[in-house]
Amino acid sequence: MKPRDPTMHTIHLTVNGEREEVSVPAGMTLLELLRERLYLTGVKEGCGAGECGACTVLVNGLAVNSCLVLAVEVDGAEIQTVEGEAKDGKLSELQQAFIDEGAIQCGFCTPGMIMSARGLLSKNPHPTRSEIVEALAGNLCRCTGYEAIIAAVEKAAERGPKDNRR
Amino acid sequence: MIGEFEYAHVSSVEQGCTLLTKHNGNAKILAGGTDLLVNIRNGKDSPTLLVDLKGIEELAEFQPNGKEGALIGASVPLNVLAEDRVIRRNYRALAEAAASIGTYQIRNRATLAGNLCNASPAADMAPALFVLDAVATVVGPHGTRTLPVQDLFVGVKENALSLDEVVTAITLPSQKPQIRTRFLKIQRIRGHDLALLNMAGCLDAASGKLRIAIGSCAKTPLLLPSLNEPVSEDASIDALVEKLNALAQGTIQPISDLRASAEYRRAMVSVLLKKILGALLHPKEEK
Repeated sequence: MKPRDPTMHTIHLTVNGEREEVSVPAGMTLLELLRERLYLTGVKEGCGAGECGACTVLVNGLAVNSCLVLAVEVDGAEIQTVEGEAKDGKLSELQQAFIDEGAIQCGFCTPGMIMSARGLLSKNPHPTRSEIVEALAGNLCRCTGYEAIIAAVEKAAERGPKDNRR
Repeated sequence: MIGEFEYAHVSSVEQGCTLLTKHNGNAKILAGGTDLLVNIRNGKDSPTLLVDLKGIEELAEFQPNGKEGALIGASVPLNVLAEDRVIRRNYRALAEAAASIGTYQIRNRATLAGNLCNASPAADMAPALFVLDAVATVVGPHGTRTLPVQDLFVGVKENALSLDEVVTAITLPSQKPQIRTRFLKIQRIRGHDLALLNMAGCLDAASGKLRIAIGSCAKTPLLLPSLNEPVSEDASIDALVEKLNALAQGTIQPISDLRASAEYRRAMVSVLLKKILGALLHPKEEK
């Protein structure tokens, strides 16, 4: 029998509602687990250092930079990525609001923006503009100038808490 | 992969200390990881073991309104402090400092104890805790000790802990209603930069006792010596700024770096002093 590799860990987690069991090395980030093992490539790597927010996902409902979390740390956790937004082929209100407001240009920052906004709206369904700005301050966008993105989150909040409390 | 190391999820402080002792300086404590994992990725740090303390129940304890004051466990993330209404009311400087760090995502992971143990001269939580008389509880293989948070800071990125000691909690004395505290900082870009200067102030409006702490201006954050006379609410702010600035200029030793020159940092001390004193002496006149 091969000796057990002390750097490998078996973890259990729920990703977008589905239970997963994976064996991961200690040095693997949550970002790498999601993209390279679970093929959830909506999660983007920008800076890899917690500056840009492109890799934002929700861990137990809280927005975090998945590049700064180890996969082993989320054993037992519930993860939400942008892939969990659309249900039955229908975009979420938040995604639709991004389209309606023209809040997407190149699209690279969009999954992170959506997840930061989701983290905010699930806790605070009717945020003020400054609360939206604060929640999105960790997400960089080089295309849109942010105004349309803020407007999209405002629109999603206006359109109704039903969808925003998922 | 950001690096090759082992990972241990421990469920007691003793277990954590034992592992730290065994690895003799090659193990690192993993709390929020927002500094450590970046350092590992950049090759600035290469521990052979990460000891994750987030599974230890007592370290997650958070009692903002305890009998003796507030108790903040070592794994409590900064957003909890920034958003808690008791902390915002009773320890305003602490909530303001917490809200000023990094981005929302960073604050969902980063911890108060981690900010202190990193011992950055720019640690935003330090000035707030200094003026609030905060105390750190430290556990090691030889027992528990407590020390004022100022004493955790020894030098640039150098703390007072031995290799197998762990900060388990920060405690704050209960606040009387006449105590006012504020935190302010100057940075180039909100959310993506460290403070080029930060400052916290605490005024006991009844006794006139004023305390000011400054960060990013020496090897460690500094608590300024107290003024000899009490500060009254109708005191001239300009005269107070002059006195405190003279005191500060004799104490600080700022350096020039990519964020600001030493001269600029020196010049900004009186700017922040004026703002903080205005906020502490005339809290209602703020816009």
